[in-house]
Amino acid sequence: MRKAVGPIARRSEVIRQQRERGGWVAAVLPIHYPRALLRSFDLLPIEVWGPPGIDPDHGAAHVQAYVCSIVRNALSFILSGGLDVADVIMVPHTCDSLQGLGSLLLDLVRPRQPVVPFYLPRGERECDIQFLAEEFRAISRQLEEITGRSPSLLELIECVKRDEEADGLLGSLHHRRNELALNSYEFYRVLRAREYLPSEDFVELARSCLACAAEAPNVGVPLILSGIVPEPMSMLALIDELGARIVADDLACCGRRLYPNGVSEDPFVRMAERIVRSAPDPTRGSPLADRSEHLLRLAAGSEARAVVFHGVKFCEPELFDLPVLREELKRAGLPSVIIEVDLNDPLSHQVRTRLEALLEMIR
Amino acid sequence: MSVGRKMVYHVNVNLLGRAVLRWHRLKAERRGGAPRGWKQEYLAPPLSISPRTKELISRHYLAGRYAHLGRKVAWVTSGAPVELLKALDYYVLYPENHAAVCGTVRACVEISGEAENAGYSRDLCSYARTDIGSALSGKTPVGKLPKPDLLLACTNICQTVLAWYRVLAQHFRVPLILIDTPFLFGEASEHVITYVRRQLEEAVPVAETVAGKRFVERRFEEVTQRSRMASQLWLEILERNHHQPAPLSVFDQFIQMAPIVEMRGDGFTVDFYAALLREVDQRIAQGVGAVTKEKRRLLWDNLPVWYRLRYLAEFLAERGVAVVASTYTNAWGELAPMMDVNRPWDSMVRTYLHPILNRGTGHKLATMIRMIEQYELDGAILHSDRSCKPYSIGQMDQRDHLVRECGRPALLLEADHNDPRSYAEEQVANRLDAFLEMLGV
Ligand code: SF4
Ligand code: SF4
Repeated sequence: MRKAVGPIARRSEVIRQQRERGGWVAAVLPIHYPRALLRSFDLLPIEVWGPPGIDPDHGAAHVQAYVCSIVRNALSFILSGGLDVADVIMVPHTCDSLQGLGSLLLDLVRPRQPVVPFYLPRGERECDIQFLAEEFRAISRQLEEITGRSPSLLELIECVKRDEEADGLLGSLHHRRNELALNSYEFYRVLRAREYLPSEDFVELARSCLACAAEAPNVGVPLILSGIVPEPMSMLALIDELGARIVADDLACCGRRLYPNGVSEDPFVRMAERIVRSAPDPTRGSPLADRSEHLLRLAAGSEARAVVFHGVKFCEPELFDLPVLREELKRAGLPSVIIEVDLNDPLSHQVRTRLEALLEMIR
Repeated sequence: MSVGRKMVYHVNVNLLGRAVLRWHRLKAERRGGAPRGWKQEYLAPPLSISPRTKELISRHYLAGRYAHLGRKVAWVTSGAPVELLKALDYYVLYPENHAAVCGTVRACVEISGEAENAGYSRDLCSYARTDIGSALSGKTPVGKLPKPDLLLACTNICQTVLAWYRVLAQHFRVPLILIDTPFLFGEASEHVITYVRRQLEEAVPVAETVAGKRFVERRFEEVTQRSRMASQLWLEILERNHHQPAPLSVFDQFIQMAPIVEMRGDGFTVDFYAALLREVDQRIAQGVGAVTKEKRRLLWDNLPVWYRLRYLAEFLAERGVAVVASTYTNAWGELAPMMDVNRPWDSMVRTYLHPILNRGTGHKLATMIRMIEQYELDGAILHSDRSCKPYSIGQMDQRDHLVRECGRPALLLEADHNDPRSYAEEQVANRLDAFLEMLGV
């Protein structure tokens, strides 16, 4: 079988290259942010989804145990020097917990780097787009002060368009995943390279994957994966092992960030449009009806037969929606299962049992 | 509305209901004194205004019970710009307050259990669980809650409320107005103010359509004026605790704050707080302290532990400790100076952007330090509230700062505002004892 993907550059390697070029690095917390804006300042965004499996002790001295492990780990990582490589830390206001983290970093637990928080509006109205565009302008002014650079609007719009190209290809990868001869684990490694690769490198990676696409037999029980982040990644290997496959996802780090192209010629407004008009997302306040319709559409388009809700423990934005979503899916004949993880825990036996039970029910 | 429905509403709420509740209040006032088991040795007698508080709250829920006969009903978050809706004569219900009532009468476990059985996680805010459980099952200690015609969620206290109101919108299939108030990591910038102002203006036609009424600016100004007066009075009441001994404990404040939260903008709320202020002044004149032998004075941070108010009040009072100020009760007074009746829209934007929960951890620490100085406090209890993350994140550093930089003992007390399953009394007592020892009592 043709292998659709060669070696993917590692984070550390990408950061080293950026540094060698004289560029800067921005550590970015989940979920939505103005990637193009950072790039226009030659700041390479490196996303920090936790990271998983680190010693959470440093963070435990500052945030309570009932706060999600993405936030606890991120704080531990910062305090233990894991993000020393970053010149800037960007904290989107994604939820109450990231709000707390951003505020802590600004006020009480100050890291070495400047912290750039911003607010993500919770509506999809015209005023939300205008507001977000203004937030981006404010960030731009802040970055000018931090970096001493002032990219032109033309440079910024070029970065936006490069992002649109990369996201377009990201969308193609999502939609043509069945043709890629990759198992779930390999496939998500490719998708998640978007979290740290410069857009132009991601474009190359995506093109090389898509160039190898070919009609492939559909094997395995088709599932949708919904949640924040597919960690531990070994869960994906388990899904493959159990004879299932992920045919679509509603993950905060992946499918909810298939940003459509913007319309406006103003790059700030265009970046805002892209985020505000992306797939329904509880952290952007999308109505529940939109979320369930979106899941049902994904299922219809991918012929998925069940949904796996893979949440991070204590993640309120996800937890609030589950009962309604599961009920709507059930009504449409789609069973679902909830798996909750702490990023520091290994894959538990319970996860295997739950997945097995779900698959048994479908088969 | 038909004349018949109007009559039924009027008879039940304004005539019969009011009369019965009034009679109950008069009876309680005549009886006076303290309830059975009241620890008179350590605590001042209950406030004589208490029966009136009870009457107000009961009247509020009674009006809700019959609201659909005469008015449109809106459910709103505690920090919502309610003046807009009051100007359109909505009956306004505060699910958070209702959840607190459930917590106080210890009905949270049962009612929130209804939500948990439907799949709502125990890790969610216990107010939200209680309220969703009540919406799903109809269970409530207040008789019956009117279904909403409109929902209004303002994110100035947390994002949790939006998640929760999205669930309500789906359940009741009614419009949800969102007033998104960007969290202030620093100062409110111009575009933030414009954004909130625009949302408030855009909310009006939606609220008008549901109400079937025209928004009248003059009414809005009148309501804003009453909100301002009540908030101002509430602030004055709290500030009377600069006095030693403090006339009002925070446990009293937690109960007496109900009208400022859920009846803001009504004339009788202004009268109520004017009367409470008179009573507090009377206590000061007579040298009455809420804790009879006040030896130490503390700050309380975060929501109350609703189901153990009396226990905590007595536990501390017995040891001569008066908890006299709280960031929580202060939140409904400190914004009063921002309300400007001459510029109701601008002042509404400013007021609803600046609640303590919409501002950073550093701002909260500064508020705590200021309160410690102004109220001459000896230390602080920071309630680490398991299911209220926005209020609790930051407390570990705030506590360390109070101890190290301000030299004030501070305790992080693990509990939950509404759910007693996250509260261990023995552990709480031990931790409080150890803390009080540090304070030398
Ligand atoms: S996992 Fe949930 S609670 Fe944690 S940072 Fe992400 S959205 Fe917020
Ligand atoms: S208790 Fe906390 S989380 Fe719950 S509604 Fe209030 S502020 Fe939000």
